[in-house]
Amino acid sequence: MHRDPAELLRAAADGDRSAWDELESRFGPLMWAVARACGLSPSDAADVVQGAWLRLLQHLESIRDPAGVGGWLATTVRREALLLLRRDRPGVFSFEVVDDPDPAAAVLETDDRQLLWKTVSALHEPCRTLLQLVAIDLGSRQTAMRLGLPMGSVGPTRARCLEKLRTLISSQEMAQ
Amino acid sequence: MINDEYVLAALRLAAGNDPIPAHVSTAAREVYGLRVPRARTATPVECAAIRTSSGPRGDDGSHLVRFVSSGLTFDLEVTVGDGLIDVAGQVVPYPGEGALVDVKTPHLTLTRRIAHNGHFAATGLPPGWLSVVCHRPGHAPVQTRWVRIRP
Repeated sequence: MHRDPAELLRAAADGDRSAWDELESRFGPLMWAVARACGLSPSDAADVVQGAWLRLLQHLESIRDPAGVGGWLATTVRREALLLLRRDRPGVFSFEVVDDPDPAAAVLETDDRQLLWKTVSALHEPCRTLLQLVAIDLGSRQTAMRLGLPMGSVGPTRARCLEKLRTLISSQEMAQ
Repeated sequence: MINDEYVLAALRLAAGNDPIPAHVSTAAREVYGLRVPRARTATPVECAAIRTSSGPRGDDGSHLVRFVSSGLTFDLEVTVGDGLIDVAGQVVPYPGEGALVDVKTPHLTLTRRIAHNGHFAATGLPPGWLSVVCHRPGHAPVQTRWVRIRP
């Protein structure tokens, strides 16, 4: 039986370990993807993902929108990842618990990964190839070589392409 | 504010090139074993009394952090050395005879009796995530928010 996120949260708060495992199955992969997309190394990403689950454990009963727990987890990971990237000194680190998830995190909740690829394929070059290379984590140097771009223009071009992709995704969502 | 990371993450998920490692999933599932039913959460607060000119940091490189819940304050002094962390703490007011603290990390929990002046200590903990739980007879447990100790 497929339980919705709000049911899973309630069940986990009541001591149902299988509900927690189901939350992990459903949202663990996207949390990992967010941490890595923020530029964290695998070990820092693992640390941040674990921290987000610890946060959830202490807020099982106080999340404002239980149905949106996926967005809450993704937002928690992103904020913690950005905090980790800013702080390179030793110390004790905490941060405010997320009240409202970032609306942009909703893009992760779509189950239709094929549609995302189709949308990327519909972009003009160099965006189409660039985003395909970004998706497989090819570094800036290799991306520049593959696309015949100067190294310095990969970052700005990537930002423009992501903006185009985001606009297309938004218009698809509006049309639905 | 533009959150490119979410679109990038969606692309990474779609590519399937960097799946979540099994040990990360396992660690996430094991987090549930750290649940403290009925616990109230003590949250970190800024406090002038524990700040020094260099921020909440002692002269010996230790780090000071205060957590407050209704009726209970935890002051923790965290020292990092040789890759391990030591925690010296005080619970105020003294929670009474029979009170215990659990100093928790995802991998290790050390239980300590609280002295009459509210002090407790735990040494040799792994760096990473840390939380302290105070158990008082006849009361719900009070647990500090999880914080990350970076060596």
